[in-house]
Amino acid sequence: MKLTVAILLITCMHVAAAGHSQDHVTLNLKSVELRKALISIEKKTNYRFLFNENLLSKIPKVDVSVTDMPVGEVLNQILQNTGISFKIFENNLIVLRPSEEGRLAELQDLKVSGHVSGSGGAILAGVSVTIKGTTTGTITDQNGNYSITVPDDAVLVFSYVGYEDQEIAVSGKSTLNVSLQLSTKIMDQVVVVGYGSSKKLDLTGSVAQVKGEEVAKQSTFSPISALQGKVAGVQINNTGAPGSPPEIRIRGVGTVYGNPNPLYVVDGVWYDDISFLNSNDIESISVLKDASSESIYGIRAANGVILITTKKGKRNDGKPTINYNGWAGNQVVTNQIKMATGSEYETMVNELNVINGKPAQYSDPASVGNTDWYHQILRNAFVTNQQVSVTGGSQKSTYNFSLGYYNQNGLVKTNTFNRYNFHLQNDYELAKFLKVGATINGALSNSNDIDGSIFHQLYSAAPNVPVYYADGTYGDPNDFKVGSSNQFNPQVTVDFFNNHTRTYKLNGNAYAELKFAKHFTFHTSAGGDFEQSEINNYAPVYTATIAQRNTVSKLNVSRNENRNWIVENTLTYDRKINDHSFKILIGQGAQEYKFYGLSASVQNVPPGSGNQYLSLGTASSANLSDNGSLSRVSSYFGRLNYSYKDRYLLTASMRADGSSKFSESNRWGYFPSVGLGWIITNEKFMESQHLFDNLKLRGSWGKIGNMSVPANLSVLTVTQNAGFIYVGGNGSTSTGASINTVVPPATYWERGEGTDVGLEASMLNSRLYAELDWYNKKTEKAIFDIPILGTIGTNSGTIIGNQATFQNQGFEFLVTWKDRINKDWNYSISANAGINKNKVLDVSTGANPIYQAVGTTGSNNFNTRTIIGEPIGEFFGYQVIGVFQSAQDISDYKSSGGVVVQPNAKPGDFKYKDVNGDGVIDAKDKVVLGNPNPKLIFGINTNVSYKDFDLTLDFQGVSGVQVYNANLGLRYGTENFTEDFYKNRWHGQGTSNFYPSANIGGSSNYLSNSFYVEDGSYFRIRNMQLGYTLPQHCLKNTGISRLRVYVNAQNAFNFFKYRGFSPEVGGAPTRAGIDVNVYPLYATYNFGVNLTF
Amino acid sequence: MNDFDNFTATSTEGQLSDFWKGQYQEINLCNQVLDNIPALSMDATLKARYLLESKFLRAYSYFRLVRAFGDVPLRLHLPKDASEYNIPRTPKAQVWAAIEQDLNDAAAGLPTSYTGADVGRITKGAALALHAKVAMYQAKWNDVKTYTDQVIGLGVYSLFPDFEKMFRVQNENCSESIFEIQTALIPGNPAASNSQYSQVQGVRGVPAGGWGFNVPTQDLVDAFEPGDPRLNATIIFRGTTTAEGDAIPSTVPNPMYNYKSYVPFSMYVSGFNQGCQQNIRVLRYADVLLMNAEANNELGNTTAALTSLNKVRQRARAGNSGILPDVTTTDKAALRNAIWHERRVEMAMEFDRYFDVIRQGRAATLFGPKGWQANKNEVWPIPQSEIDLSAGILTQNPGYN
Repeated sequence: MKLTVAILLITCMHVAAAGHSQDHVTLNLKSVELRKALISIEKKTNYRFLFNENLLSKIPKVDVSVTDMPVGEVLNQILQNTGISFKIFENNLIVLRPSEEGRLAELQDLKVSGHVSGSGGAILAGVSVTIKGTTTGTITDQNGNYSITVPDDAVLVFSYVGYEDQEIAVSGKSTLNVSLQLSTKIMDQVVVVGYGSSKKLDLTGSVAQVKGEEVAKQSTFSPISALQGKVAGVQINNTGAPGSPPEIRIRGVGTVYGNPNPLYVVDGVWYDDISFLNSNDIESISVLKDASSESIYGIRAANGVILITTKKGKRNDGKPTINYNGWAGNQVVTNQIKMATGSEYETMVNELNVINGKPAQYSDPASVGNTDWYHQILRNAFVTNQQVSVTGGSQKSTYNFSLGYYNQNGLVKTNTFNRYNFHLQNDYELAKFLKVGATINGALSNSNDIDGSIFHQLYSAAPNVPVYYADGTYGDPNDFKVGSSNQFNPQVTVDFFNNHTRTYKLNGNAYAELKFAKHFTFHTSAGGDFEQSEINNYAPVYTATIAQRNTVSKLNVSRNENRNWIVENTLTYDRKINDHSFKILIGQGAQEYKFYGLSASVQNVPPGSGNQYLSLGTASSANLSDNGSLSRVSSYFGRLNYSYKDRYLLTASMRADGSSKFSESNRWGYFPSVGLGWIITNEKFMESQHLFDNLKLRGSWGKIGNMSVPANLSVLTVTQNAGFIYVGGNGSTSTGASINTVVPPATYWERGEGTDVGLEASMLNSRLYAELDWYNKKTEKAIFDIPILGTIGTNSGTIIGNQATFQNQGFEFLVTWKDRINKDWNYSISANAGINKNKVLDVSTGANPIYQAVGTTGSNNFNTRTIIGEPIGEFFGYQVIGVFQSAQDISDYKSSGGVVVQPNAKPGDFKYKDVNGDGVIDAKDKVVLGNPNPKLIFGINTNVSYKDFDLTLDFQGVSGVQVYNANLGLRYGTENFTEDFYKNRWHGQGTSNFYPSANIGGSSNYLSNSFYVEDGSYFRIRNMQLGYTLPQHCLKNTGISRLRVYVNAQNAFNFFKYRGFSPEVGGAPTRAGIDVNVYPLYATYNFGVNLTF
Repeated sequence: MNDFDNFTATSTEGQLSDFWKGQYQEINLCNQVLDNIPALSMDATLKARYLLESKFLRAYSYFRLVRAFGDVPLRLHLPKDASEYNIPRTPKAQVWAAIEQDLNDAAAGLPTSYTGADVGRITKGAALALHAKVAMYQAKWNDVKTYTDQVIGLGVYSLFPDFEKMFRVQNENCSESIFEIQTALIPGNPAASNSQYSQVQGVRGVPAGGWGFNVPTQDLVDAFEPGDPRLNATIIFRGTTTAEGDAIPSTVPNPMYNYKSYVPFSMYVSGFNQGCQQNIRVLRYADVLLMNAEANNELGNTTAALTSLNKVRQRARAGNSGILPDVTTTDKAALRNAIWHERRVEMAMEFDRYFDVIRQGRAATLFGPKGWQANKNEVWPIPQSEIDLSAGILTQNPGYN
């Protein structure tokens, strides 16, 4: 249809008033354009006009002066001699046509009715059905049905938020059933935001949404892990054993003392952890990145908010849909560090002996055996995820029920993890105006855990010691003269470590939604979260080697319980008046967080399988401790969304939160935000351009808070510290307690403030989409543990308070290109990047740094530092300028004052830069060595489909980041070395000026220095997936409606220079990026099936 | 460690700040008691005793501080608010005076001895003996004589007959003991059984041994008179077997280890620190006798000096008349040297030697060749981290800037 039409009036859609109550009109117009005259008639009556705009352009101006005249007569009068005819249809539609066409008379009123459905056959209520070229139309009812009377050659336009518009010519048919397709245009997609949803185009903040299916595609336990590389500015570190959650940092590190992870809101309930969710149950994940979007979550928003919507059933004919999604595969260590062999090890230990002035302890290194401990303890580990769901709905209710099973073996042979979960979601429409519903999630997980130090043990274990002797007993390091520092056989560690964790989680919410007075919606919901974890640890009596034995058995049982609830009520007013659209939300909420932990241990419990009871042990050895906490939050919030002419957008919100964690005078916090948007493409001057489909400029500002800090910070507490136990002369003891803190001046939550400016553009017929953001996020009054004078005598040497300000500033980019080459070929490619700069702006103690020693030996061997003007937790230490080659070399290294700088050094030791030139190497010579906060994180995500095949390739990486390779220097004696170290070590003059001698753990070589700091940048193929969907004709008569099979590889190819296990290290702020005892990097290879009945 | 051996430790050495903070943590706990307990309604006798015990412990910490650093900030009360956090160093004379005041109070009010579960609590004798030592570091010889005479006069202390066995766990709080820091292995509670005193000095390189810090020197070995049984009760030599039957392999890293802190390997319980049972002997009767001898000699009471000195030698002799003959010289300087020598071997590895040498004015001679510098190394540097935190309110000792 090549008809260019003009929409003359913008009013509410549902205007089709019946009857001719206002068919008389009074007008008095002089010399006006015909268009104006028609508008005047529309304003005064219920009539609407349908015409081709070109039709009116050549008509001279008209005079109209009528009083209470029927509209038909008025039109007869003003259209006289214009060559235009008209016809009034039943529903007040007046069609204007050139008289010469002559077809007008043949046009008939036709009653068209039908049913509109959405994706998966869902009933769509509220779909707007309009006659093209007019604003005349109707909307579908609760059952997705519509009925409209139109001219029989009209074109109907069906539109619904989140779906592609569809135009269908009536062509005389009286029944038109329509199935709408979900929109693939980013700007049209519905994005879940705090307490509501919005079209992406209408957002004034920075929100990224990822579909559930994209997450479920990947072979990760946590759906959040699967976001890695998918969202600009979101850094995810996947580290840790099976079942452990990833670390997530949205726009940099936002807090130091509290929990730096974001708030998760699942179907309206707030969580710190979402390990109860199976990825297959997720409909969508929204990441709120800017302060204005986050601030509606007030006191919990400072580290970003992730909103998760779970799948709901769809209203259809009541026939259930059964889905099965399953995959299974293997995890394989991808970056196995090669350790020195037995003979290489003995060679180096001998060298170490000589360096320390002792005789070499191994007489014949060449003939010794070799144990590859990694090979012995690690395995290729099985992993699977299985889920079955039954979903469906009738006209008035929907349901979704799923059962899931996840099982992941750890890379360490004894390590296992499994989880069973269910998800139940029901919605009921009790009346046209009242909806109720409930969601329940349950999960049970079990794990056999690993000794926390096993990975460093594998690194250090002496390779000249066999796992077992010929008689089956354990190889004993003591028999191989391995030093006391290295007296373990990792097999023993693994065999005698018994730690089982079982976690029960049950949570969910119930809601009711009442619509009244046309524009109002009242929503109330109550959610609860119950969680209990049980940890049983049993140390049996055993004698494996001289050093690895246990003479007294001990059973330790702990129980931790969380019982939280949240109640929220919101009232929404949604209205469009002419050019003005309003949406006003006000809300109120209350929350409670309750924790109780109990731990008990007893000695001499006999070994046994199954449950062991504390009462079987020796009563006098029993030890009991418990602790608990309770906090409550009360909240009020409100938000206004306003748009004018769909061009100018305003969002303003305010939240007030009161938390019992803080003292009365500091209890309430107020979190305002404002966002502005300008949809440039809706401006008149943009009408003639064809490059941009949509172009929007937005800016926002907001305040956010963080209360995820320990409770009672501002209360003086008495501690029953074990160190305060009184020991009497006859061995009697009694409990002691003391105040060992200094009261900080009242603490309150951390205050965040963020500004965001963004540009969103959809171009070239929505094939190209680009988004650019600049942000500046400040955390003010951050709760910081800062050092105080030792003379005050606190135990910790620190004082907690709101005493720091830091900043994350950066850019984010997203570019997506999506196209269809022909009906067989589709593809999309999307690239995103986040550049962030983290900086401490202010600490109340002034320039005094906060030091941390992580994975280093020796007293106060600090390797990270947090100081004003620098990023949080930067690496810090001595600058290595070479390796001493000889005694002469050592005595030649003098300061300008002639002082020998490192008189105690030995050849093969690091030569440190005497930064201040005073002839002594001490802490004043330490310099910044690196930054654990990445400057750049990026991802590239591609999809290609050809006929029934689909291929996904996701790339991801970080750059501008360093890792502290602490494994190298964390030595107390004769720990093993890497093969790389063996090959490159200094072992005589001229052998190396970079690697030190085997004495790397001795002299002053173990001190934090630049040798240990390495480039932590990496790039990898995060995910590769090839899928094949069976063509429909193959599935005929099978009852199967869809069957897809795929193969997948995650983390299969990694590219980095780092010499350790994995550059993806993570860690708490001020202690991050230190590689010691990290879980090895692994790839997962799996195949899977998606099946729908 | 090398830096301490070579007298090159600088103000950024972490051990120094740990020591500094550790003493002030103890002082803070004492001040908590002294400031808060008076307001409690409780048994008056017990209340008085708690206060005096706290005064003794506070005095002990200040003594260790002033001996190591000279002038140090003196806190006798809890800081009332942030304005009292950052205080300057107090001249050492005032610190010494505060220590003596606390010890006078403690000596006046504490009981002479305890029984049962209370054994190990601070006694009058402990306060007097510490006061004597405090006086000795100030060369107040009359006071040293007065307080040591008072300790002797209490009549509750005697030299333990077996020098080696005195340091074993079963002889803790023996007749010679005046003040010990009490430790224990508390079953089921390794967190409270956390003394590392024995562990850090234990034989390195054997299971149930230790880390092998604070090792004896050949110079110390050479200081013992021929046949002195105390040598083999002070030092564990590798390749030998201890009196408790532990064979020390010849392959262990160091030739010698501290015997006085040693706990037999059989007492090791997995999950606990090695030797966590070992009490730290702080003040014992032999120390008092040697202080008494030194004071009497300085004051010209030669006979009394010889009596006290020879009591110590006699015990060491353990009945073997062929060794360690009584000292008989009446020459003041020669006797002074004899007392100093006796003090070195009797009290070896008990953490007084370094400060004794400085107190005796012999540091330049004895330590000079190893790098000790006069007008600098008499005291240690104030931890740089504390000076930084004080924004310059705390000043550095001479020679360490």
